[in-house]
Amino acid sequence: MEGLMAFWSETGIANFAPDQLFMMAIGGLLLYLAIAKGFEPLLLVPIGFGAILANIPNAGFTDEGGLLWYAYYVGIETGIFPLLIFMGVGALTDFGALIANPKTLLLGAAAQFGIFATLLGAIALNLVPGFEFSMQDAAAIAIIGGADGPTAIFLASKLAPDLLGAIAVAAYSYMALVPLIQPPIMRLLTSESERTIKMEQLREVSKKEKIIFPLMVVGMTILFLPAATPLVGMFCLGNLMRESGVVDRLSSTAQNELINIVTIFLGLAVGSKLQAEEFLRIETLGILVLGAVAFSIGTAAGVMMAKLMSKLSGGKINPLIGAAGVSAVPMAARVVNKVGLEANQQNFLLMHAMGPNVAGVLGSAVAAGVLLAVLG
Amino acid sequence: MTSISEQLFNALGVMIMGMGLVFIFLSILIVGIKIVARLCESENQSAVAHAPTPAAASATTLDPKLVAAITSAIHQYRAKD
Repeated sequence: MEGLMAFWSETGIANFAPDQLFMMAIGGLLLYLAIAKGFEPLLLVPIGFGAILANIPNAGFTDEGGLLWYAYYVGIETGIFPLLIFMGVGALTDFGALIANPKTLLLGAAAQFGIFATLLGAIALNLVPGFEFSMQDAAAIAIIGGADGPTAIFLASKLAPDLLGAIAVAAYSYMALVPLIQPPIMRLLTSESERTIKMEQLREVSKKEKIIFPLMVVGMTILFLPAATPLVGMFCLGNLMRESGVVDRLSSTAQNELINIVTIFLGLAVGSKLQAEEFLRIETLGILVLGAVAFSIGTAAGVMMAKLMSKLSGGKINPLIGAAGVSAVPMAARVVNKVGLEANQQNFLLMHAMGPNVAGVLGSAVAAGVLLAVLG
Repeated sequence: MTSISEQLFNALGVMIMGMGLVFIFLSILIVGIKIVARLCESENQSAVAHAPTPAAASATTLDPKLVAAITSAIHQYRAKD
């Protein structure tokens, strides 16, 4: 009988706290969104499952020495996982569209306004009782507006580790929701005739230019913004491996096996941060709201900048491509293409939108570097 | 309350500086890309410009006197009959 009692006291049923059940339900919701709705399944499956594992009473996954604790400690606290992912993203990115039309870098810069406006918003939220965000917290929340998962996790792990779970979940959920969030803003800010603008075909970009590009970016980062070199450096290494053409094996590993392995553990480690006591706080709600605001402002700023450039260039630029400046590669570019096709059946904007899209990745890495340099 | 307005002021500073730096950084990059593009273009053009000249030269070296000699030879050969 005593043995039975001891067994009972170790079961999950006897030890459940209601908030743990609630967090498991959130994990279940993430799994549902990933599997049934197809929202960012590569990340939401491990994150959702990690959330379930992290809230099992008596399992010890997240205690010191447990698997999830190690995954977090080794990969995220050190910043290694997001950087390895960034290398893979670099190896997956073709900068051709950007090099052919370098002006689109300005769109990628304008869309970062979402980040910095949200910084202000997060501090302003301190006026509401119950919120107490420091500048570091505010910066880590604001980077959600960069729409770039690895950058958000990297910055949050450096500036506000206790908010990391909520920030990562917000960043990835909103990236999955890009097709829902962006089109209304894009339609609101552009006229029908602007959306139908056709753009000239992009020129061919030589291999030499593509090889010089990552080297140039890394050189500039070294000179002006060393705080961004972890992110930009790994990104450029991945891209150079791709474009140099002499290390196809490494490039293919970086963009397939390595990024896949790291994604599994990154997702689990982020999920482990969805523990009831860390996640069920009023701050989480604020982060979710601010994240959505950051995304929307970023999209709007990109479109407005593209409108300005369209006016200055005499109508050669379709303002829709500005929305792709918020990174979220390649989802944002696809959304631009779709909205463009709605206005004009023959108007394919995908390649034109890839320029601002990859510019957005660089822009948010630079913005993260600025925030790290100022507040880190 | 003063601390919040102070924080807001700081955040505004970071915002202006941050946007400025992002724009400056990416603008320099634009200039860099354009310079590289121009260098690569002029290199390509000179390569293209170089390529046809030897071909044209070889074609022209065949032409003037040699062709005249051959035609006159043919002419004389036919005139024999």
